[in-house]
Amino acid sequence: MNTVLTLLRPRFKTIMNGGRSNTRFGRVGKFILLGLIGSILWGGLYTVSIRVLSYFRGIEEIGDILGFKLLSMILITSFALLIFSSIITSLSKLYLSRDLFLVHSFPVAGYKVFIARWIDSTVESSWMVIVFTLPVFIAYGVVFNTGIFYYMCLLLALISLSIIASAAGVFLVMISVIIIPANRMKSIFVFLSLFFFIIIYIAIRFLKPELLVDPEIFDSVLIYITVLQTPSSPLLPTTWAFDAIKAGLNGHLAEGIYHLAISWSFAGCMFFIIVMTADSFYTIGFSKTQTAHVRLIKSKSSRSLVLSFLPRSIRAFAEKEIKIFFRDQTQWTQLFLIGALIVIYIYNFNALPLEKSPIKTVYLQNLLAFLNMGLALFVLTAVTGRFAYPAVSAEKSAFWIIESAPAPLKKFLWIKFFIYYLPLLLLTQILIVATNILLQVTPFMMVLSIITVFFLVPGIVAMGIGLGAAFPDFKAENPTQTVTSFGGLVFMILSAGLIGLVLIMEAGPVYKIFIFGLRGIPLSLYNWLYIAGSFFIIFVISILAIILPMKFGEKSLSRRFS
Amino acid sequence: MIELKNITKKYADFTAVDNLSLSVRKGEVFGFIGPNGAGKTTTIKIMGGVLKPTSGSVKIADLDIKDHPEAAKGKIGFIPDRPYLYEKLTGMEFLKFTSDLYGVTENGLEKKAEKELERFSLLDWSNELIESYSHGMRQRLIFASALLHDPEVIIVDEPMVGLDPMAIMMIKDLFVDLAKRGVTIFMSTHTLTVAEDICDRIGVIHRGRLIATGTTEDLKREARITEADLEKVFINLTSQQEQADAA
Repeated sequence: MNTVLTLLRPRFKTIMNGGRSNTRFGRVGKFILLGLIGSILWGGLYTVSIRVLSYFRGIEEIGDILGFKLLSMILITSFALLIFSSIITSLSKLYLSRDLFLVHSFPVAGYKVFIARWIDSTVESSWMVIVFTLPVFIAYGVVFNTGIFYYMCLLLALISLSIIASAAGVFLVMISVIIIPANRMKSIFVFLSLFFFIIIYIAIRFLKPELLVDPEIFDSVLIYITVLQTPSSPLLPTTWAFDAIKAGLNGHLAEGIYHLAISWSFAGCMFFIIVMTADSFYTIGFSKTQTAHVRLIKSKSSRSLVLSFLPRSIRAFAEKEIKIFFRDQTQWTQLFLIGALIVIYIYNFNALPLEKSPIKTVYLQNLLAFLNMGLALFVLTAVTGRFAYPAVSAEKSAFWIIESAPAPLKKFLWIKFFIYYLPLLLLTQILIVATNILLQVTPFMMVLSIITVFFLVPGIVAMGIGLGAAFPDFKAENPTQTVTSFGGLVFMILSAGLIGLVLIMEAGPVYKIFIFGLRGIPLSLYNWLYIAGSFFIIFVISILAIILPMKFGEKSLSRRFS
Repeated sequence: MIELKNITKKYADFTAVDNLSLSVRKGEVFGFIGPNGAGKTTTIKIMGGVLKPTSGSVKIADLDIKDHPEAAKGKIGFIPDRPYLYEKLTGMEFLKFTSDLYGVTENGLEKKAEKELERFSLLDWSNELIESYSHGMRQRLIFASALLHDPEVIIVDEPMVGLDPMAIMMIKDLFVDLAKRGVTIFMSTHTLTVAEDICDRIGVIHRGRLIATGTTEDLKREARITEADLEKVFINLTSQQEQADAA
């Protein structure tokens, strides 16, 4: 046990020292920002949970049944999330971490290394799920007016559920790594988990769970209650956790202890199973991960015909950039996520019940179209932050090749800009045009949206590339995470500021054109001058937003040479 | 071919290179030796155009690197001490990428790249991603890419690190052969036997200053040693300098 604790000590110390050495504003700022976002989310979840549960309790006969049904759904979803989180984390902790070479060189039994890494993985993969479900469970305790026994039951049930989920995840990983190397496995699981999430989201949207609180749509109350009361399988760990928490809510002490005992004994059993499995398979899987990567599909390198019109040095940069991007498997999942984001974004507009709104539809459609511009541009900012901002840092330690190459840095940055600009422009225009079609906006709003986006996309992408060049981190293990650094924060703030400024400047002229058009009144010369002036300033701002960040990025990057 | 005039490089209060001047003739193999932290890599980075000096000038093939950075860099084959490359490109793709940047004639490029890969025993790996290469293979790939555009000057930092004895021998022969064909080679090294074997002249840098230059014989004279290898010369020269600095 001492050895396991010793193996865990560096991890513990890293966390402690991480807080002590956070003196740079970037880290402190990030900590404050994340803390603030976390608190708002936590508070929001608690408030919503209290309101929903109080509403349920107010419904006669079926109020508690609804509450328990919701509890069961939360536990099943959390358990699924815990398993997926455990798979991803344990792959890193057990097979891919850089310190594993050192750890495996210690004179320590393999199973002890495994136990230490598994404990670390369990904590890392489950703390967030537990922390963010806690406000919901606390709300249950408050609404059901329970005592300390409930909170003890809750804590013990959640911990055992996390241990079971983590053990199940790591068991799957250990077996799978024997067949597929861990580095490929991680991409496959990330991809699958995202796919799983999207399917669940779409399934929930199609099921319309809000109808559950509207018993009138069922043929009879009896059918409705039967549907709600259908019990879960007694073999599921979530059922034991559910029964324990339910007993805690109802104050049934003996029943609660009984269900907790089942859950904990299974957790203990799982622990022994994974330790025994690790004894046989962990080292084999780890060794297999260390062997050289082999390409699944080998092909002779060929020139891109699409880019053949470009001058050679520009084509060289562009081809390199595109090849590296698409061969990096971590990008695939991100691309998939963006695809899903587009579908969900457009689907949500399709689901808007405009006809039920008390506001006149034509106003609402155009107001939404205007707000939609901002929303789509914020989505663009997030995507730019994920892809374009880390583009310079993604050169990593190979940046010496660019530094020593007979090509100016300006060219290098502008090529990066165009590589991201074109697809991001396409993405934003698809979002805008598709949602505007769904909203059935006026041709004026459609044209305005398209033009605004056309002028703002290059500015936002230039900010991403320029600020990414100004605050590069060539030593980052994962350059995509650089967007959470100080430079990334500056990019996000400036981009949001630009979008806000342009939309505010557009709001006045657009309102005038729209209202005067609706009333059939011609615009006065003053109004025309006001509109033309506003759009001219927006045009100038858009151009400056392209040039200034790129120049700033180039200058800052050049300063690295001196 | 290479001319460094009064190069100084400061990092805040620390002077990494102090008023360094030297010139290397066409077809000469120049060795640059010195203790850790003496300023070798900084000097090499300045020569390669990767770092700008605080003051002084660098000329490569009569081109001032400050005024004509792209043209001057085009004449250089730059080989850093650590072989960081684009992991997701294949060896062949990396060679094509650098040859495009350096403007190597496209006609016959594939054959030329294959020849270089074969020379460095990488032909069988040409279509594998660089992420699967060992340290030595990456180092050899950088050599191949640095030679592909027929540079007039090769600047190389610690060329033998990570290479096996066969590759070390091959590189030594290659440098001698290239120098015979008029290519100027500037290399920093800790492997003093390599410097002794192939360098026409050697420069010793200590605390950013060039404390001695010349052939091995010249250096022995300067170190007041007659019967000793370069290692002893190196130790004597640097300790003499340390004593002088202390005084």
